[in-house]
Amino acid sequence: MNTPPNNPELIDRLAAEYVLGTLRGAARRRFARWRASSTSVDQRCLFWEERLTALLKDLKPVQPPARVWRGIRRRIASTAPGMRRSLVRNLALAASVLLVGVLAILWYRRELVPERATQVATITAPAGALWQVEIFSRAGEPPRLAIRAGAQAARPAGHDYELWALPQGGKPVSLGVLPYVQGSLRRALTSRELEALGRSTQLAVSLEPPGGSPTGQPTGAIVFVVPLQRST
Amino acid sequence: MTPATQTESDLDAQLQQLLSRCAAADDAALERLYELVSPTLFGCLTRMLRRRSVAEEALQDVFVTVWQRAGQLRPERGRAMAWLVSIARYRAIDLLRRERLAPALLAEPPEAPAAAEETPEEAWPAGATLLERCLELLTQQQRHCLELAFVAGNSHEDIAGLIGSPLGTVKSWIRRALRTLRTCLES
Repeated sequence: MNTPPNNPELIDRLAAEYVLGTLRGAARRRFARWRASSTSVDQRCLFWEERLTALLKDLKPVQPPARVWRGIRRRIASTAPGMRRSLVRNLALAASVLLVGVLAILWYRRELVPERATQVATITAPAGALWQVEIFSRAGEPPRLAIRAGAQAARPAGHDYELWALPQGGKPVSLGVLPYVQGSLRRALTSRELEALGRSTQLAVSLEPPGGSPTGQPTGAIVFVVPLQRST
Repeated sequence: MTPATQTESDLDAQLQQLLSRCAAADDAALERLYELVSPTLFGCLTRMLRRRSVAEEALQDVFVTVWQRAGQLRPERGRAMAWLVSIARYRAIDLLRRERLAPALLAEPPEAPAAAEETPEEAWPAGATLLERCLELLTQQQRHCLELAFVAGNSHEDIAGLIGSPLGTVKSWIRRALRTLRTCLES
């Protein structure tokens, strides 16, 4: 029921109408599920998205009002580590007794139930540990990635270091640009990253242009390959 | 620098890079991305949704989704601009269905191709010229139907009502138009 029909002609026709927007209602929702579960369906959708988008080229751009960006910032504050920190700071400035109390309770509970990483890797240079990488996946919570940079983890001049999962039998999957000098990063993992990590026993670090590889695959020298260990 | 002063691949490489920084939770990258593409996406959303307030809400949804899914876009999965536009359009189609918003009313067929005005659309050309060539193969009606659907967010039923043709006819025009396009685009 949830598997797409094995008929390339039909799949292509549905993909075209899905992208065009004329596939509606239950058929549209079913097709979206097929797309999520099938690479060949996804490929046909990408084909049409790529081509038909050019139909919009005569559409006039419209500048959205400033409140839209403010709304976006508010909405992602709960998911972005950087923004969450600034939110906490602002609230703390308001000296909310309630907030302090809640934070204290959260901190206390966290201490009682320490988070356990399910996969870990340490990237080490002769001078000492450079990065500690941990994957957390606790039941009922979205899996997360945490990276801590050591004091020696300096940014290479004019470049960035990018971290990669090396799934067996697949291409490297980017885990993003690494933080530097005692910086840290903590964020939710995408399903693609999580899937790649599940099939990886090693991580790699490559030297990339600032901001990371422009191609989605390592383009510069691979400077580290380290084991990714599963902790039980 | 605005999209209009860049080449398509420059802009796309830039979007791609901003998106990979978004995937690493860099909110400055999201802000820059917003500056670059929100006018295009908002133009698309206001056209499809008609009501500005709904389009504003939708634009927020789009950027929250982009933030969450930035890590899923890879160059081998296509261009960043097409990916962003698709997120916006699918959100609008969802809203059109849920809120049963009145679709865009654009009954008149488009004026004769406004070839004179060169639009500063470096964001589009590679796909655009190919598509443009292939669109030439369609009848005026077929092309008009595709635009009513893709650009203005109309369903088969909406289009039939707008141009005063039977539903079955509209469906088969669109089906044949897409088949012609596919053959042309893949050749």
